[in-house]
Amino acid sequence: MLLTPQGASRSLAAVFTPIKSRGLVDEVCGRIEQAVETGLLTSGQRLPNETELAAALGVSAVTAREALSQLRTAGIIRTARGRNGGSFIADDVLPSRERALDQLRELTRLQISDLGLHYQAIAAACASVAARRSDAADVATLRSFIPTAEADPLHWRLALSEFLLEVAAIARSARLARELIRLQADLGTLTLLPCADAGYRVTTAALLGEVAAAVEARAPAAAEAAVKDLVAATTDWLLTEQSKRH
Amino acid sequence: MSETTASTDTITVHTGELDATITGIEDRLAAWAADTGTALAALSGRVTGTAVDKLIRPVVEDLVRTPDGYVAGAGFLANAGLLGPERSYIAWWQGEELEHVDALANFSPNSISRYVRSEWFRVPVETGQAHVTGPYVDFLCTDEYVLTFTHPVFCRPGGPVVGIVGMDVTVQRLERGAMPALRRIGERATLVNPDGRAIVSAAPDIAAGDLTAAAEGCSVHPVGRKFRIWSGATAL
Repeated sequence: MLLTPQGASRSLAAVFTPIKSRGLVDEVCGRIEQAVETGLLTSGQRLPNETELAAALGVSAVTAREALSQLRTAGIIRTARGRNGGSFIADDVLPSRERALDQLRELTRLQISDLGLHYQAIAAACASVAARRSDAADVATLRSFIPTAEADPLHWRLALSEFLLEVAAIARSARLARELIRLQADLGTLTLLPCADAGYRVTTAALLGEVAAAVEARAPAAAEAAVKDLVAATTDWLLTEQSKRH
Repeated sequence: MSETTASTDTITVHTGELDATITGIEDRLAAWAADTGTALAALSGRVTGTAVDKLIRPVVEDLVRTPDGYVAGAGFLANAGLLGPERSYIAWWQGEELEHVDALANFSPNSISRYVRSEWFRVPVETGQAHVTGPYVDFLCTDEYVLTFTHPVFCRPGGPVVGIVGMDVTVQRLERGAMPALRRIGERATLVNPDGRAIVSAAPDIAAGDLTAAAEGCSVHPVGRKFRIWSGATAL
């Protein structure tokens, strides 16, 4: 049914879309996966039981149980029975090349390029405001996220996402920052793939330096251009890689 | 600036009002830190997560549910040593629904590493003094643009800092509360942090987060421990 332009606006219609109970389970899973990726929870570590987890996260025991089961299926946790039993973070839990390749195979070119455009728009807005609002301490923090050439792909990927989050932090816009976090979640483990390529690391290291320099020089247009190139480097790499595999 | 700034008496009244608001938050926090220290000392070494929750949660509930209150979230964060060598413990809640913030971190044996670099934790622990961080976008808790007021907690005078208590005040709530008084002080009156960064400004061209400078000849008024009001500010 077409609601616009004569009827109610489409954004209003979205308000009445039922909230799926699935959402809460995914949210709990997302939190745990994020805790693993950022090193807060590590392989072999015991997770709290269902009741404790439910209490800590303020969800029902049913939701916690479903989340644990979903994490088990995804291979993030393993469960052992018996006296020393419980749920543990799995051994091969960190984002792997295999999982990233699976994700790349599932995506269409359209999805990748559209996600890239959205990411560019948000990152560019952050960079331009950051260049107007930065102080010396901001620039020092930003530079501390630029990884060294010998960093491994996992570390490189984390550093890239932290760097862009810091640009959003310097821009001091909560909305832009939240949008950036959402986009990074949508990209998922995909960004691990280019980080294994030395050529990509050289290109992005130079671009990270350019963004930091432009933010420091309070040059909004230059910051925006450099950050767009940075996002494009990732999208282009993924599109090229995908076409090779088809 | 004379045509856009109020009379000295009016300025004194309204800067005093804003100073009372911020000082009120800081005093409430200092009293809470003292109470928390006494209560933790009374547990005489048997400090558990459950005991900490029981101590902190009712206070947070009271703070975040105060009608027209400024506090969006509040809590306690244990320093290493209180519950375990590398372990922190976060008893922090936000919103009317009292969402338990960063709760998963409490299951990590090395959770202290998560907080040691944060200004709002590091500064009160290192200096033993109260601190205000921000305004900044708070990725850990609210995902909002906030000020975080933190205060060290001691179990005995001169002892180690066992943790910090803190309150998150969103810039949005502060703007609602502070704007009427700021407007009466002057058309370009601005509440700034120690870096000269605008928290709330009456000037239409100065947004929260912008760096500003005091206008020539404007008056400067301290607000709380760290902030100032400039009766007139210019965008940088």
